[in-house]
Amino acid sequence: MTTLTLIWIVFPFLVGFTIYLLPRLDRVLALTGAIFSTVYASLLLIEQVPITLKLLDNFGVTLLLDPLAGFFIFTNALVTAAVFFYCWRSDKTTFFYAQVLILHGSVNAAFICADFISLYVALEVISIATFLLIAYPRTDRSIWVGLRYLFVSNVAMLFYLVGAVLVYKAHHSFEFTGLQGAPPEAVALIFTGLLTKGGIFVSGLWLPLTHSESESPVSALMSGVVVKAGIFPLARFALLIEEIDPIVRFFGVGTALLGVFYAVFEKDAKRMLALSTVSQLGFILAAPEVAGFYALTHGLVKAALFLIVGKLPSRNLQELRSQPMPTQFWIALVIASFSISGFPLLSGFGAKVLTMKNLLPWQVIGMNIAALGTSTFFAKLIFLPHGNQQHKLFPTQPLPQEQNISTSSPLPPSSQFGFWAAMLLLLGGLFAANVVYYEAYTLENTLKPLGTIFLGWLIYFLIFRQLSVKLPRMFEQFEHLIGVMSLSLIALFWMVLA
Amino acid sequence: MLEAFVLITILIGFLGVLFKKNLIMKIISMDVMSTGVVAYYVVVSAREGLFTPIITDSPSGTYADPVPQAVILTAIVIGFSIQALMLVGAIKLAKDNPTLETREIEQSNTP
Repeated sequence: MTTLTLIWIVFPFLVGFTIYLLPRLDRVLALTGAIFSTVYASLLLIEQVPITLKLLDNFGVTLLLDPLAGFFIFTNALVTAAVFFYCWRSDKTTFFYAQVLILHGSVNAAFICADFISLYVALEVISIATFLLIAYPRTDRSIWVGLRYLFVSNVAMLFYLVGAVLVYKAHHSFEFTGLQGAPPEAVALIFTGLLTKGGIFVSGLWLPLTHSESESPVSALMSGVVVKAGIFPLARFALLIEEIDPIVRFFGVGTALLGVFYAVFEKDAKRMLALSTVSQLGFILAAPEVAGFYALTHGLVKAALFLIVGKLPSRNLQELRSQPMPTQFWIALVIASFSISGFPLLSGFGAKVLTMKNLLPWQVIGMNIAALGTSTFFAKLIFLPHGNQQHKLFPTQPLPQEQNISTSSPLPPSSQFGFWAAMLLLLGGLFAANVVYYEAYTLENTLKPLGTIFLGWLIYFLIFRQLSVKLPRMFEQFEHLIGVMSLSLIALFWMVLA
Repeated sequence: MLEAFVLITILIGFLGVLFKKNLIMKIISMDVMSTGVVAYYVVVSAREGLFTPIITDSPSGTYADPVPQAVILTAIVIGFSIQALMLVGAIKLAKDNPTLETREIEQSNTP
């Protein structure tokens, strides 16, 4: 298993670079990388035995492979494979496939490392690969959005580095366990870095613009897996060290509520999905013991949603209401929306029940409000009109916003095959993942989410359907993002000290 | 004392990222910040001694800690490549925004 692990770690990077030498085989090679990860993650989940690896003697790289990491790796593999299917017939160049594969490899690395420096390297490679993917269309806007992302994440990682050396100062080791007994400023600095990187609470306000202005496959990758590279270490710290646990849970509830609050007022489909990511990440952190399963279901569902919304004729929910979408898209959209709202039969239900069971008493009210809000704003997608007029799929006149053209550009019918293959993988995964926690299907467990969803829809029809409030986006400006980082650093310091 | 100066460097870099209006100046400020971080690693590794940790016939006793130095080398390389990437981005943006004022760029590029 050790040899297999090492081969598996190196494989995406190796293939990512060889793709350049064999441009004709780019898609096949890229898909092989994703499939290899799927197989490996399944092995990890079946064996259930944690593997600890210590490479290169005492101060070397430490890796920890356990079922928690297995879930995250599995998510990563499935989402990456779905993105490859989606892009199969598109005009994406070899460069794109190589970058996605390198991103895949570095996200995998972030999920398995158990020391601060390996994590730093993995996260920085993720930043670079993500920047290149965001800036892939080479338009001014995409470059600015990418630069903004790179700035925010690099400044965050510099804080993280200072925190890492403070841990080293205290323990003469960079391992995660060193966080126990580390000075409070070290914990605060490391958390500032990871919270920003993972898009949590106020430090995560860079996320909506970045995720909504990228191309659909890139948004799917970012929301599905890339942000989880920042979340995963937080969940791991919470499980390793008792004192950290309440802080992580607190940020879980905070970000769940913040994301929901913004999302219910949102009128743009892609932005709404991005804000929903901010809130769903809260569900992952709110109960770190069961983070893996929730991350899996969220990764699949969010990737599917971004890919579907990218195919719709418009991003504006108001316009979509007067413009019926093809019924087959609507069915896919409804399956995904039901799963994220926690409807039984889909694994989003099991994940939500499991998370709710593992909450502490003080979290329950907050998380229930967040769940209610989630079903409220997903009602916006579920109750969109649909019909089988094929011509509506390809808008004849150019859309008002420049970006809309690139995100929902009409693709030739042959590309439909790739899209449905991706949907089959992601939505099929949602059905199949039910086996992980089939104990959830009791009468009491089933009734509660149904009630929540019904109440959410009621609120939607009574209040939010007519409401047109536009929340200010002031806090998403670049300077404010950096400023908020310093404020959250101070706040975290006092939280750790308390 | 040395530690305080290093931390001040990091702070100055951070404030530069926050308050400088020009994109290039922001990128340079970020470099100042990362230089501060690198210096901090060096200061930490030199806490217990200054000698290069190589085994010789006459051990001096006070060796510098090699681990943080080795580690920060990776961070320097990563920082350098990110810097390069950002400057390429700035070059591309400069075609349509010759002044490179971040506020202007932001206004014309957010929906």
